[in-house]
Amino acid sequence: MTKDFKKRFDAVAARALGELLPDERGAISYSAELSAFMRFNGGKVRQSGSVEQADLSIKLWKGAKTYSFMLALSGDEGEDDERVAEAVGRARALMPLLPDDPYQAAPEAAGSSDARYSGTLLPEAEIPARVLGPAAGLDFTGIYSQGLVCRGAANSAGARHWFQTETFLVDYSAWLPNGRAVKSSYAGREWSDAEYAKRIAATKRSLENLGVEQIALEPGKYRAFITADALAEVVTFFSWNGFGERGLRQGESAYIALREGRESMSPRFGFSQDFSLGVEPAFNDDGELAPERLEIVSGGAIANTVVCSRTAKQYGVPANGAGEDESVRSISMDAGDLAEADALKAIGTGVYVSNFHYLNWSDVQAARVTGMTRFACLWVENGEIVGPIKDMRWDESLYNMLGAKLEAVTKERHLLVASETYERRQVGGSLLPGILVDGLSFTL
Amino acid sequence: MQNDIRRLLDAAASAAKEAAWVGLRRRRTSASYYMARDGAFDQAIGGLDDGVMVEVLYDGQFAYGATPDLSPEGVARAAASALVAAKAAAGKGVHRFDASVRPATRVSYRTPRARKAPIAPDGVFSFLIDVCDALKAGDEIIQTVSMVEIGRYDYEIVSTNGADVEQSLHYMGTSLQAVARRGDVVQLRTANGPRGLTRQGGWELFDAAGLMADARRVGAEAIELLGAETCPSDRRTLVLTPDQMMLQIHESVGHPLEIDRILGDERNYAGGSFVKLSDIGGFQYGSKLMNISYDPTVPGELASYGADEIGNLAEKRLLIENGTLVRALGSLESQARSGVPGVANQRASSWNRPPIDRMANLNLEPGETSLDSMIASIEKGVLMRTNRSWSIDDYRNKFQFGCEYGTLIEDGKLTRTVRDPNYRGVSSTFWRNLCAVGDASTFAAFGTPNCGKGEPNQVMFVGHASPVCAFADVEVFGGGK
Repeated sequence: MTKDFKKRFDAVAARALGELLPDERGAISYSAELSAFMRFNGGKVRQSGSVEQADLSIKLWKGAKTYSFMLALSGDEGEDDERVAEAVGRARALMPLLPDDPYQAAPEAAGSSDARYSGTLLPEAEIPARVLGPAAGLDFTGIYSQGLVCRGAANSAGARHWFQTETFLVDYSAWLPNGRAVKSSYAGREWSDAEYAKRIAATKRSLENLGVEQIALEPGKYRAFITADALAEVVTFFSWNGFGERGLRQGESAYIALREGRESMSPRFGFSQDFSLGVEPAFNDDGELAPERLEIVSGGAIANTVVCSRTAKQYGVPANGAGEDESVRSISMDAGDLAEADALKAIGTGVYVSNFHYLNWSDVQAARVTGMTRFACLWVENGEIVGPIKDMRWDESLYNMLGAKLEAVTKERHLLVASETYERRQVGGSLLPGILVDGLSFTL
Repeated sequence: MQNDIRRLLDAAASAAKEAAWVGLRRRRTSASYYMARDGAFDQAIGGLDDGVMVEVLYDGQFAYGATPDLSPEGVARAAASALVAAKAAAGKGVHRFDASVRPATRVSYRTPRARKAPIAPDGVFSFLIDVCDALKAGDEIIQTVSMVEIGRYDYEIVSTNGADVEQSLHYMGTSLQAVARRGDVVQLRTANGPRGLTRQGGWELFDAAGLMADARRVGAEAIELLGAETCPSDRRTLVLTPDQMMLQIHESVGHPLEIDRILGDERNYAGGSFVKLSDIGGFQYGSKLMNISYDPTVPGELASYGADEIGNLAEKRLLIENGTLVRALGSLESQARSGVPGVANQRASSWNRPPIDRMANLNLEPGETSLDSMIASIEKGVLMRTNRSWSIDDYRNKFQFGCEYGTLIEDGKLTRTVRDPNYRGVSSTFWRNLCAVGDASTFAAFGTPNCGKGEPNQVMFVGHASPVCAFADVEVFGGGK
C-alpha cells in the first residue's frame, strides 16, 4: 500500500464528490494508517506484526434525505475508484426509502488545511531488540506501536482538510513479583534510544517504592493527590454523558444540574477544547473546522457546550465544529498554583494516586463516578511515602472531586497522547495537571 | 471465494518461503444501522469492510501482516512483512510454538436463520418511528430512541497444513430507550441495556409485536421510576434478572477465567486475574448451585460459531461444575503456554487484529427454583433489572455494578419500585453467596457486542445466557451525590 495516502485521499474524494448530481451534496472523511505493533509480556514478544488499512466514510444529502456509509479501501487505485462509485450508486438507490431527516445539516464550510508531521521511527526488524533490550531484567509488559496515521475530510461545499503524523508509542508497565507495578509510556515522533533509556531508568527507580508490604486501607474519606495520568481516566467523563449540547437537552448529560445552577464546581476548575495541542486535527467528519480554542468550563461554570451542526439545526443554537457524537477533543485543563514537587507535602497524610482503572457512572444525574486505584498508588504520612496501598474502589461525585473537595491544582501540566487502538490507531490527547482532593470516598 | 483465497495462500507462501507454516484469515463485514429519535429519522448508516491477515510461523514465532489489498501481490507483501516481524522476534517470544496450535480443521458454519429476506429500510423506519411513539408513555418522556442494527461476518481460514474454515455469522440487534424527567429527577430506561438485545439469526429477530410491547413497558417504567424512592443502602439478598446476570457473568467469571489474562498478557491494559493456573481443577469459585459453561453451539446466541479464528473446532465445555473451577477460557496457544485445559476461543475483532483469548458464549446453567418460590423465600431483598453501569478492578475482584430498575422484596413479596439501584462486592465471595438459581422458565440469552480487550485494542461480540439468580448478603445502595 502506498505511503502517499494524500494522493489516494484526493482521488477518492474526487470520485465520491465528482459523482454527485446537482441536487446532491456530500461529505467524506478518510482514515488510513501503516502500523507496526509488538505486544510483549514478561519482557518477551507475545504477538507482533504490521497492519495497513484505509477506509472512507461518505455522507450524502439529497432533498430531505440523509445517508452515510463506510467503505474499506483496498489501496489499489482502480479497484477503489470502482468501489466508491458503486457505493454512491447503492446509496442513491436506498435514499428514497428513508424518512425525511428533520434536522438535516449539510456542511457549508469550505475551508482547507494541510498539516503533516514526519517522524523518525524504528526499522521494523529492530523493534524487538531496541524496545525490549533496555528493559532487560524487568517483568516488562505492554505494547509498542508505530507508523503513519492519516485523517482527511472534504465536502461538496469545497472544504479540503488533511492531517498526517508519524508517531511511536511504548505503552508499558513494569511488575514486581508481589504483583505491584509502575505504569509509564514513551511517545513521540523522533525515537531516541537515550530518551527511552532514561524513561526505563525512571521506571526502575519508581519500582523501589513498591517492594515493601502493601497497606490495606479501610473504606472512608482520604486526602488524595490525583496525578495527570490518573486524571486522564476522569477526563473521559467530560465527553461520555458530558458537555455535548444534545445530551444536556435530552437528559443524558451528567451536567444538567451544573447548567441549571443546582450544582457547581470549584472556581479552580476549568478546561477547554484546545487544538493548539497539535495532537489531532480540528476538522470533523463533515469537513467543518472547530475553533482553535473553546472554553467549556471556566471558573467552575459551563462557558460553552460542544455543538454539532445537526444539534444546532434542531435547537437553533450556533454550531462549533463538533462531531456528531459531540465529544470534547484535545482537552486542556487549567493549571493551578501547586508545585508538583510539593504534592506529597500537600497531601500530608493520604493517598498518592498514580492511576485509576475502569471508571463508570454510579449515578449520572449526580455526576457520581466509581472506579479503582491501580498500579503504583502510595500511602503518604506527614508528606513522606510509606508504601503501596492495596487497590481500593472509590465512588465520588465529580461535583465533589472537582467542586467543594478540590483543594489545589498543579502548576505543571502533562500532555498525554491517545493510546487507544480500537479499529485504528487513534489521534488526540489531553494536557492535564494533577489535583489535590480533600476527602475522596474509598468504598471497598 | 475458496479459489480466490487458495490462490492468495499460494502467493503468501511463495513470499515467505522460509516460514514453517503460513495461514490466511479473511474477514468480510457488512452492516446496516437504522435509528429513530423522538419519532423521527435520526441516522441511517451502511458499512462494508474486507481484508486479510497473513500469519507466518518462523523458528517457533508467529507474526502477522494484515492488508485490505486482496490481490496476490498485496497478500505477498503482507506475508513478507510478517516474515520480517517473525524473524525479528524469533528467540525472544513468550513461547516456542509449532503448527499444532493451528489445526488443519475443515468446517463450515452458517447462522441458522428462519427469515433470510431483508425488510426494506422504509419498513424498518416505519416500525422504529412507531416504537418511539410507544416509548413516549407520557409528557414526562423527554427523549425516545429506537435502533436496529443488522450485519454479517464472513470468515475464511486456510493454511499450508490444510485448514479450511468457512463461516457466515448473521446477527441483529435492537435497542429501545426512553428518558423521563420530573423536576430535578431524570431517569433512563432501556430494553435489556445498551445493545443487550443482540443475537444471531435472521429477520425473524425483527419481532415487531414483541418489541412494541417492550417499548410500551420501557416508556411506562421510565415514568414510574420518576416517582420511586432511591434504592436503600444496606446488606440484603439480591435477585438479578438475566439482563443483569449477563454482565455479572461477563465481568466476574468470564474475564478472570481467560488464560491470557492469567498468564499476564493483559496486565498493562485490561488487567490480570485473581485466578491462578493452580486453581484450575480445585478452586471453589462459587456455591454448589453454580454451573458455568462455554457453549458456542447454542443457536441464536451471539457468539456461536463452528471454529475459532485459529481453526480450533468449537465444542461445549463446562468450566465451573457445582461451584468448582474445572476448566478455563484458553485457546490452543494459551493451553500450550500454560499446560491447562481450555476451549476454542482465540478470536479477533476483524482481519486487522490478531486473535486472542475471548469468552464466546458463557452461560449459567438453569437450576430448579421457580421465580415465585425464589421471591417467596426472601425476607429482605431487592430485585434488580437491566445493567446500566459496570466497573471492576484489574484482577476482577472488587466490582460495582448498577441497574436501571429495582423492586424491593419484603417478607416474600415484590413490593415497591426503587430507582438508581447499585451493588458492590468481591467476585468469589459474591458467587459463593449464590443461594438460588432459577429454573428454565426464567432463562434468557443476551449478547454484548462491545467487549473491549487486547493490545492493540479489540472490541468483540460475546453472548451470555442465564436464569434469574439470588445472592445472599450483598451490599446495595442508591444514587445521589
